[in-house]
Amino acid sequence: MTEDDVKTLDPYVQWIVAEARRPVAVDDAARRRLLEALRAEPQPTRRRFDWLLEPRRFALPPLATAALAAGLMGIGVIGGLVINRDGPKAGRPRAEVAETPRLPGSIVPRAVKFVLIAPQAARVAVVGDFNGWDVSANPMTTQGKDGTWTIFVPLHPGLHTYSFVVDGTHFMPDPAAPLAPDDGYGHQSSVVLVGGSSL
Amino acid sequence: MSDAADVQRVLNGDVDAFSRLVDRYYERCARFAVRMLGNRDDAEDALQATFLRAYRSLGKYQERDKFSAWLYRILVNQCRSIAARRNQRDRVFVREEALLLNAPDRRPTWTGEDEELVQRVLAELDPLLREAFLLKYVEELSYEEMSTLTGVGVSALKMRVKRACDRLRTRWERIKDD
Amino acid sequence: MSMTRRMMAVLVLSAGAATAAWAQDVSPAARELDPLGRLSEGSRYQIELILDSARVAGLPTAPLESKALEGISKRVDGRRIVSAVRMVFRSLRDARSVLGAPATPDELNAAASALRVGVTRAELAHLTQIRRDRSVTMPLVVLSDLITRGVPRDTASQTILQLWQRGAADDDFSGLWRGVERDIVSGTDPGVALLNRAREVPPRGPSSQPEGSRPEGSTENRNS
Repeated sequence: MTEDDVKTLDPYVQWIVAEARRPVAVDDAARRRLLEALRAEPQPTRRRFDWLLEPRRFALPPLATAALAAGLMGIGVIGGLVINRDGPKAGRPRAEVAETPRLPGSIVPRAVKFVLIAPQAARVAVVGDFNGWDVSANPMTTQGKDGTWTIFVPLHPGLHTYSFVVDGTHFMPDPAAPLAPDDGYGHQSSVVLVGGSSL
Repeated sequence: MSDAADVQRVLNGDVDAFSRLVDRYYERCARFAVRMLGNRDDAEDALQATFLRAYRSLGKYQERDKFSAWLYRILVNQCRSIAARRNQRDRVFVREEALLLNAPDRRPTWTGEDEELVQRVLAELDPLLREAFLLKYVEELSYEEMSTLTGVGVSALKMRVKRACDRLRTRWERIKDD
Repeated sequence: MSMTRRMMAVLVLSAGAATAAWAQDVSPAARELDPLGRLSEGSRYQIELILDSARVAGLPTAPLESKALEGISKRVDGRRIVSAVRMVFRSLRDARSVLGAPATPDELNAAASALRVGVTRAELAHLTQIRRDRSVTMPLVVLSDLITRGVPRDTASQTILQLWQRGAADDDFSGLWRGVERDIVSGTDPGVALLNRAREVPPRGPSSQPEGSRPEGSTENRNS
């Protein structure tokens, strides 16, 4: 199957493929270093709390959400524009050999509270660059009859563009936040700058 | 001895079973890392990080996945990390004369210089095109496997492979006409 | 709230950060299996071309992917999505040429937005050349907003620049923004609102000044 695919390629490209398929010389010293490093590692086991470490979009398990709501309300500022000079002094993620190259302090997400007063709405969601503009990702909730819709979303420090979506189709900016320039689609969006360590 | 069985042995306490897995995959992973990153130091870093991470995350490996695919996913991501870390803006300068001297006359013969040439030519490709090209034609994965591995859709991957081939061919056309 | 619950919340956040950071190795779009797949083949191809060009140019691709996803979510025609993405790409490229290599993705994004609302390259360059030790993201965000709300472009640019030169910090800009927004909503002319509120921002010394030195401002020429 693959051989046929290769044969349809330009001869020069076929040559590149053939050359690239050749094995590379492997440095035995590097391999020995790897085996030594492995020997120094703790034995791997099946983890019980896999949900903690699975890569996931910003959906917190229910207990954590409750903890957030109870304890971190002081962090987010109501409305769109948020400045956190002193965010929570979160512990650094456990350092691993293979971590992405970022300063640890600047990647800890902050809980940002979004609020929209929309008494006539049947449902409200927040969408933005942090959830792929997915209307189903962050539905907001309303407690009483006063039409105040809220949600906490963990956002990485930095600039984020977002919008509210009312009743699934009506996109509107946050009245309490700076405006992003025209979105190119005839709507207006909002901007939030989430504080972190200095850039 | 299947990969899944070896993984189970490691989790049950026979850590030497992991070195069998390393033996089985090291050279193949090395080839991808060298072709992808273009130099051995970075490739060795990628290999080290890949196998260490695989070892540490072994508890998360699901038997229904192919071990090689699982390992390759880690490898591809490690290569991306390392490439991002170093300054990729330095464009590799390819000496035109070297290309002409090594022009394929439909009977390519192996010399040490050819490898350097191939590395340089591959390095000219945008990293994501190079990655798709290598996974398809050097690692000989199917598009479905590549999609699972990279999280990118099949049509996007096909497009990247096609663009990679077009770029390589165009490069050659321009050289040989000089 | 108890210490343990607070710590657990923080742990969840930092674990989330660790995995989110790892997930950043894979592009945002790849965290879901291929959301751009909802585009037509032709539109998708055009956008992939733009993304590849951005990568080659060393520009962040996240704003471009985000713009595409935004269009998909808003059920916009494919061709319009392509032009919107292209517009963002061009503004990022222009922003890069003004800000140069040290600019962070946030600064690039904010600068690109400013260019899109009409801030000139010269004005942008002027802003970013002063006080290079501070991030210019916040003043740019506020500048773009003010112009979008109707403050004349040159008034907005000059005022923000002056405040920046005088050492205004992020808090000053956010306070300024709140005041101006409130005034505009109450019916004040946007340009007038900005100039009024700008006078309320206390001048601070530039951050590079040694401690104990007198901040500038007493003999400031308040030109409107």
